[in-house]
Amino acid sequence: MHHHNHYYGQSHILARYCGLDDEHPPRIRGYLQHGWNVGCGWNPVHEFFDGAWRYTWSDAPRRRGHSLGRRDYHVVGAPFLYLMELEPDLGAVPEAERSGTLWFLFHGWEGGGKGGKIQGDHARLISEIRETETEPVTISLYYTEFERPEVRRAYEKAGFEVICFGKRGWNYEGTDRRFLYKQLETFRRFRRVAANRLSTAVFFGVAAGCTPAVYGDPMALEGDNPLFGGQARIARLWPEMLGKEIDLEAARATTDVELGRRHLMPPAEMRMLFDWNPRD
Amino acid sequence: MTETKLPPIVRGEIQPWTDRDATGGPVLTAFLADLLPATAGRVLVAGPHDAGVLELVASRSADVSVLLRSVSDAEALRGGTWSVVTGALDGLADEKPEPFDVVIAADGLDRLLGPDSPALDWVERAGLLRGLAAPDALVVVGVANDFSLTALLDRRPVPERHGDDEWRPLHDDPRRPASPAQTEAALGGAARRYALFATAGRVHTLLDSGALARTRPGLPGSGIALAGLAAVAGGMPLLAPVTDAAEAAARAGMLDAVAPGWLIVLGQGGATHTAYTPSGTADLEEDGWRFGDRLVPDVESAETVLFRLAAAEDVPGFREYAARLTDGAFFDRVHGLVAVSDNEIPLAAAWFRFRDRLIGGHRRHPWPPWMAEGDDLVKTWLAMSGAEPTPEILARGREIAGPPAEPLDLRTVLADAEKARRTAEERAGHIFGLERTIGFRDRQLRTREQQLREMRAELRLLKSGRAVRMVSLVGRVARLRDPKRLAGAVKRRARRFLPGRS
Repeated sequence: MHHHNHYYGQSHILARYCGLDDEHPPRIRGYLQHGWNVGCGWNPVHEFFDGAWRYTWSDAPRRRGHSLGRRDYHVVGAPFLYLMELEPDLGAVPEAERSGTLWFLFHGWEGGGKGGKIQGDHARLISEIRETETEPVTISLYYTEFERPEVRRAYEKAGFEVICFGKRGWNYEGTDRRFLYKQLETFRRFRRVAANRLSTAVFFGVAAGCTPAVYGDPMALEGDNPLFGGQARIARLWPEMLGKEIDLEAARATTDVELGRRHLMPPAEMRMLFDWNPRD
Repeated sequence: MTETKLPPIVRGEIQPWTDRDATGGPVLTAFLADLLPATAGRVLVAGPHDAGVLELVASRSADVSVLLRSVSDAEALRGGTWSVVTGALDGLADEKPEPFDVVIAADGLDRLLGPDSPALDWVERAGLLRGLAAPDALVVVGVANDFSLTALLDRRPVPERHGDDEWRPLHDDPRRPASPAQTEAALGGAARRYALFATAGRVHTLLDSGALARTRPGLPGSGIALAGLAAVAGGMPLLAPVTDAAEAAARAGMLDAVAPGWLIVLGQGGATHTAYTPSGTADLEEDGWRFGDRLVPDVESAETVLFRLAAAEDVPGFREYAARLTDGAFFDRVHGLVAVSDNEIPLAAAWFRFRDRLIGGHRRHPWPPWMAEGDDLVKTWLAMSGAEPTPEILARGREIAGPPAEPLDLRTVLADAEKARRTAEERAGHIFGLERTIGFRDRQLRTREQQLREMRAELRLLKSGRAVRMVSLVGRVARLRDPKRLAGAVKRRARRFLPGRS
């Protein structure tokens, strides 16, 4: 229904999970949450069509949506968890061989003409990373930053390996449907995941077995809408996920909640939920 | 049979007249069978009761009098092992008969007077009836409850509810009891009270008032009462379904107060069960409800828990609970189930009934409308319960569950209309969304088309370039230098000019 459903190849993963064509996934009758979200599952100004259902990763966005007067939610769990089920061995190495920190810089977005760049002191962040991390660091930049030479070079010059997982796509164009596959594969060889904001990648990393850390300048996003409370609210709600050393058990429990592990469903149920069964 | 000394007719008979829907049915008969002593002495059955009741009473007593106000009803009943007195209660009282050891007026006190009788209010009628009984007699009186849920939710104006059977507005009576407390105050010293649920005179549920007052929503006691209420409501035009109100009443511990009526027992009789239902009797014991050889814990039914989980949109909780249900008996613990050897079929039937109550009752749940329309919900839940939803199981389950109930009440009809309006709105939204998606796809196609055109143009340029021309020339020369290929080519071209060849 909405092109956001294709972001990061999430529709593709769910289509594959349901035994359907994952190169050209069927339309989802509604909106699929595409990233971890402190609000109702979508950005504060997202448009919704009447009668379209909202498929969230976890229950909290559903409850927050209700408080905004929105209805028609169904919690499905994060597609990343379904991918982990589909690919139990992708990139997996023995636990003892996992090493290094995969460090995610809070990313901007395509902007749609409304900005979407991040602003912050990269040099300061780099020194903090150096001070903190004891193992080799790989910096993951979203392509919006990867393609900004001044940002990319700053991290390369600091001696970090810099990688990019690809594009999430826009208006059904340019979606790297292996985006999350590549991320999962990479996570599985790292010991630690870190970021300067609590974000989707941190939860994915924890789900894939990494120890998390969230520290450093959270940077500012051009045109960021603090309607949902911003970083202060995140600190109030998820203090256990912030810091350089985080209790792994607590982080895993929170991750399971935020990615909706309890809500995973069998393929047959999902096909009915998404209206993916052929109709006569 | 002992001849009574009563005259066959007393003052107050009505002709022509018939009292339809005499009170009775197997449930009432079973109750009276437990209550009445083996030898009942002199018995009066006051008002219209069915043959089952009369035969039971006659089996316990050789001296049974039946008081009927309708001459034709009385005539039809003569010839049995009882004597029939035609006339009104006041007429019989005037005869000052010998006191009765047992008086049964399960039909109530509303069909005992004729138009020639004085305008006796309910308490006076009760007094007359009590006056006919010996001081330590066993007296059974039915009391209709004007404050019942079914009366409160009745769609008809009050004067239209009782047909033409009243020449005096009996329900306007200020002394008519309208609560258990008022009933007991009016009759005094009730030994037992049962909530009574009847349809057209046929009693289908009797439930001890104490047990009913203590029960809570979803517990077996409440389940028995709700089934009884549903049966009463089945034939009535209602403003709203009784279920929601009954659940609220159960939560408040008020189910007994809003029952359609009561059966009051004065004096001593045999031991009776906690409940009498069409599928048998039940007793509330310390560790639960005993239905025959089955003991059902006095805990919430699966349906109640599942409704709550659905309303909370807690699908994982629903899934975990559904996984624990292994056969169809869970929804219908109280009122029995069609016996089918295969476990999956009654389970499917139970899920179909659950679906009908969830959707038909406009209850809150987290599933989209396209799942609620067909069998998708039942398929989903069956799978959650570990059964594969094959077409055969679904068809058989639906057959056992029967078709979904047609809404008869105003609220449901209004809610259905509102739902239809919303569905239309949502479908328009869906079409809008699809058109927007098509717009995206169109743009995507245009991008592709543009790419194709550019590639074709590039190809044309490439073909007209020197390099390609050179390659083409080299190819031709190569053919000339291969005599066999050249001969073949000449032959093929020559054939086109030969006659008979196309």
